[in-house]
Amino acid sequence: MSLAAEAFVSQIAAAEPWPENATLYQPLKEDQILLSDSASSLAVQTFLRMCGLPVLVSCRANAEYMSPSGKVPFIHVGNQVVSELGLIVQFTKAKGHSLSDGLDDVQRAEMKAYMELVNNMLLTAELYIQWCDDYTATEISRPRYSSPYSWPLNHILAYQKQWEVRRKMNAIGWSGKSLEQVYEDVSQCCQALSQRLGTQPYFFNKQPTELDALVFGHLFTILTTQLTNDELAEKVKSYTNLLSFCHRIEQAYFKEHDRESQSGSSRHSKGSLP
Amino acid sequence: MAEPMELLCWGGDWDLPSVHTDSLIVLTYAKFSGAKLAVKSIDWTWRTITASVPQLHYEGSTVTEPTQILNFLRKQRFNADYELTAKQGADTMAYIALLEEKLRPALLHTFWVDTENYANLTRPWFTSHSPFPLNFFVPGRQASLALSRILLTKAESPLLNITEVEGKIYSEAKECLNLLSHRLGNFHFFFGDTPTSLDAFVFGHIAPLIKAPLPSGQLQKHLNQLDNLCQFCNAILKNYFNASAEKRTDCSPTTIHDPVDANLQKLTQLVNKESNLIEKMDDNLRSSPQHRPHRHESKPLALAGERNSTPHS
Repeated sequence: MSLAAEAFVSQIAAAEPWPENATLYQPLKEDQILLSDSASSLAVQTFLRMCGLPVLVSCRANAEYMSPSGKVPFIHVGNQVVSELGLIVQFTKAKGHSLSDGLDDVQRAEMKAYMELVNNMLLTAELYIQWCDDYTATEISRPRYSSPYSWPLNHILAYQKQWEVRRKMNAIGWSGKSLEQVYEDVSQCCQALSQRLGTQPYFFNKQPTELDALVFGHLFTILTTQLTNDELAEKVKSYTNLLSFCHRIEQAYFKEHDRESQSGSSRHSKGSLP
Repeated sequence: MAEPMELLCWGGDWDLPSVHTDSLIVLTYAKFSGAKLAVKSIDWTWRTITASVPQLHYEGSTVTEPTQILNFLRKQRFNADYELTAKQGADTMAYIALLEEKLRPALLHTFWVDTENYANLTRPWFTSHSPFPLNFFVPGRQASLALSRILLTKAESPLLNITEVEGKIYSEAKECLNLLSHRLGNFHFFFGDTPTSLDAFVFGHIAPLIKAPLPSGQLQKHLNQLDNLCQFCNAILKNYFNASAEKRTDCSPTTIHDPVDANLQKLTQLVNKESNLIEKMDDNLRSSPQHRPHRHESKPLALAGERNSTPHS
């Protein structure tokens, strides 16, 4: 959105309270959604729960195409459609709900820096593993991504998405990396997060912020998703304070949700944390 | 270590040891950690197109990319981050990610995609520093790489045009600079009184922006307003690259042209701006019937009033 349109949206957003029928759209949970999308979606859901805002999760096969920016998840609130965690945080702030008001400027700078670290390293690594690693792409990503469609559309869409992601990896210089280097980067990122978290309950001591939501979304999804091998999950598991952080947030915000929807574990997701 | 380590990088200008961000990062870190590097500039050699710069050669092995080179130097016991706590080390990684995501696209745009800067500054410089016949190819190749990087990482589906992405990347870059300024505060370096790798990264990114004589530099103007970052940059230049830093006492980009040329430059800039404005008005007129947000943006308050009065479904 252009800057003027963004300012306009936040002004309109401020005018109405949060409705009861706000909906979050994501790809189909059992068959279609991939690791990176699932992580982003969980991050947004966690953030909204932390703010205490009710939202219904609706799974659609064409969620990616409905989204204004092409990224999932996106939320439909009243008359607006907003996608991506950054814009959703801005949107909820315009409505008067914010988790990071108590932070001073330096802390806010740190929070933004860590969110960029997660996006830069973890999300890019997830995309790399899904689409640039041939084995994972053939076994998991392509079949899942194109499962709602029939032949020949499924092949075309899957290869198109793969080509797009590989182009992006090329542009940022990740195409020269081997899988081991990517795992090493994930490990370093987790180490940085673990050191920043230390023994605190949340990243900025007592109050959860959008950084906590983002980190939880990614780490929980990595830990509970079955890929071709478990190496990614092992890298995360080696940091015990991150594991207990995930447990804590899961207990605090997802207790009822856990029992309802994740009891029937699918082939892809292993359900709750081990 | 019998033979010194050899670093290949782009040459320097505008008071900087190198005009290339990544090369500057490595050079600065080497100064901070006390590593002796034999600096070889690739200007006027065929390496301008064959080598990926910066490149460190040591005892037969080659390392590229600033982060890899810094890791290599640390393994050779040239460590500027020795005194950092674990948390500060984590902060370093986070801030470097912030720089890469938010500031780098805008820097690439300022130097390589913005037509005025590219035509008047970047391309002539790189052309004059490359051998014949490479001077025809090198700048163009870098520019297209920069443009594709910006579009692929920042342009989502409604923003397929570079002009719309511009607004977004510049506002993100300004925010990033503000955040850095807040973090630096009144300190000399980001972690107290000794420089670390984060200082090297920040210096590498903002020094070309401060020192280059850019014809159109809105980001540069914004950066000049952040005094502590300017002082940080000048202090590093003075203390570690002491050669010609004494010439500059303030951080505004000085043009060395005499007054007549300066007036002519200003006139051409004004004419360019006018023609840009006329083009934009033309575009707006052509697209206004279908482009609803423009109509809305002129009267947001009235619409807000309307919505409040209608019952919500």
